[in-house]
Amino acid sequence: MDQSEIDALLIGGGKSPKKPKMAAKAPEAAAFPAAPSKKEPTTQAEPKKDGSGHVISELDTVTSVTERESNKVMDQLDQISRLVSRQQQLITDMMRHEGAQSLGVQGAIQEVATASKEIQDKVFEVMDLMQFQDITRQKLERIVHHLRQIHDYIAELLGTGLKSDTERPSISHTIAQTGTTPDENKAHADAVIEAFKSQKKE
Amino acid sequence: MKILIVDDSSTMRRIIINTLSRIGYTDVVEGENGKSGLEKLGQGGVEMIITDWNMPEMDGLEFVKTVRGQNPVIPILMVTTNAAKEDIVEALQAGVNNYVVKPFTPDTLKEKIESLLG
Repeated sequence: MDQSEIDALLIGGGKSPKKPKMAAKAPEAAAFPAAPSKKEPTTQAEPKKDGSGHVISELDTVTSVTERESNKVMDQLDQISRLVSRQQQLITDMMRHEGAQSLGVQGAIQEVATASKEIQDKVFEVMDLMQFQDITRQKLERIVHHLRQIHDYIAELLGTGLKSDTERPSISHTIAQTGTTPDENKAHADAVIEAFKSQKKE
Repeated sequence: MKILIVDDSSTMRRIIINTLSRIGYTDVVEGENGKSGLEKLGQGGVEMIITDWNMPEMDGLEFVKTVRGQNPVIPILMVTTNAAKEDIVEALQAGVNNYVVKPFTPDTLKEKIESLLG
């Protein structure tokens, strides 16, 4: 998180846990802030006055910032991938060079080519692993959903009529089955699809 | 072949685009929710759809139902974190042709795409 985001958090009501007094200054109003726009990850939620939505605001910020940072990692991986492709082209050119036709040189170049391919594969592997960002985001959305339910229940109980905002992304029905290892649910999903298709044929 | 990718996570869209390019599909269009997915679909040329489920404004299930109301044949692959049996069945009933649970491997995505196009 950079300074502008810290400033936005302080201004927007996304209180730092180290400064709890800020939340107690204005307990008279309550409304959950809107989720920050996905297109503008640094945009903070609306200012709030009672602190009840600070956790949600911060969770929204976490998801936005991690998405932005994940894209930066993806940019770097794309850059590495392009460089490795360029390197592979240079290796191919080198192998054709008349000064590199001896068996020893060809063998050495081939080893470099193999190493280059391994780097490229690893880069792709890391890109695929970046799926964790979306999965973590959706798990946080689920937690936010529960927090909002608790908030609304308490608001109703106290008769304040101050319900949280309703416009949120749809969320997974449960996060209990959300996996973290690639393809860990594949066999289960494929079995359900097969059963569905067989049933449809009958 | 033009493929429409609908997912609210830009990271996930990039991962899918990257996987597709590695298996030879480079003509892609993107939508960040069902609503923008429909807009992109309306521009024409899309031959396959890969969509997420959980998205703001219009979720993937509603998107699939709307698409199926207009186009009963276009292949639709749902790629989502929803792994519950009832979710998978609901998506299939809505008109999804196949289903991938996140996180997935490139091989799985490739297998599913090829089976849809096969």
